[in-house]
Amino acid sequence: MKQCLSIIVLFPIFFCSCKKENNTPNTPVIEIVDTSATLKLSGIFSNGPYGSVSGMAKVYLKDGKFTLVLDGVTISNGPDLHVYLSKEISPVNFIDLGKLKSTGGTQVYDIAGSPNFSQYKYALVHCQLFDHLFGSSQLL
Amino acid sequence: MKKILLICTMSLIYLIGFGQQTNTARSQQWLDLAATAGNSQGTVAASYVYTWKIGKRKKLQAGLGARFTSMFGKKVDFITAPAKLSRSNTTPFLIVFAGQETANWDTLTVQRPFANSLNLSANFGYNFNSRWSAIFNIDLIGFGFGRKSSAILTSNGVTRTEPNAKPAGFNALLTGDLDYGNLNSEFSIKYKLNDHWSVRGIYQYLFTEYKTNTIKQTAPDGTQVDRFRSKANNFGVGVSYAL
Repeated sequence: MKQCLSIIVLFPIFFCSCKKENNTPNTPVIEIVDTSATLKLSGIFSNGPYGSVSGMAKVYLKDGKFTLVLDGVTISNGPDLHVYLSKEISPVNFIDLGKLKSTGGTQVYDIAGSPNFSQYKYALVHCQLFDHLFGSSQLL
Repeated sequence: MKKILLICTMSLIYLIGFGQQTNTARSQQWLDLAATAGNSQGTVAASYVYTWKIGKRKKLQAGLGARFTSMFGKKVDFITAPAKLSRSNTTPFLIVFAGQETANWDTLTVQRPFANSLNLSANFGYNFNSRWSAIFNIDLIGFGFGRKSSAILTSNGVTRTEPNAKPAGFNALLTGDLDYGNLNSEFSIKYKLNDHWSVRGIYQYLFTEYKTNTIKQTAPDGTQVDRFRSKANNFGVGVSYAL
């Protein structure tokens, strides 16, 4: 009987674990922006409903390749934060540039292809897991 | 839909009631708890099973049951579900061997899936000896419910957000990709500890279906698709109590 009780007690413990959500690294990332790249668009970040983002978003072009630079940003931490180029402030149609590298610093993200920036006119910091907007910047 | 739910509910009530009245040596009743884990997802399941022993030596067993399964996960990929798009042949049973039409597949990544199902199940077993047996069970029909979750539909490199993807409400085993909804099937090896308690090692093949609400996949033939399916191979353990 003890054996059976042990199994019942251990059964849920075996499968349940408390795992903290993976937050974005806090150590500021300082990446060098190629000085020969041409600045095409830029905008100032404003806070979203679920977080805060300060700093600038800048789109550079060099040798036919676009990059998005989060310049001097400070971002409140959260799980699964991604950087988007989006057609809307609340992202419906978007391009995922990848996970946010850090909550601070100057960060460079490659943009695949040549998106139409008259449509993809927002740079966003977005919590993908919970669909929460942390901050947005209109690229002008 | 209401009729189907009514039939399922009545079947389960009848099954449980009938089982409690006829517990003889030729039949067995089990309560079972199971938990499995796989890639980015896991399940817990509780079931009631009534089986009849078949044959002179009573080595075989077959029966029906009711099973509640909860599937949960994080960033689980679901692919285009309708059989006419996902497979080259949609003949029942033969569809299992049909080619996969991957060109028609889009991926819905559900961020925080949590899908529950209550299904009627078929159960089969073979007793190797007094302690060891092999068990196979599969969900037949029932209904599903669960948490709405945001999801990302990736179609030809374009990503769109679905804010309210939800689990399919109706489940039915129709073989292969013809299936609807959330269906659990298990193959397990069971070891009998004593007259009441047994433990199981489980391989699970789990179908989970989510439906989009605001955005849809446009298939090459123009079909608007809102059904997406995850097929998972999971492993786990179970505990059974013979009534």
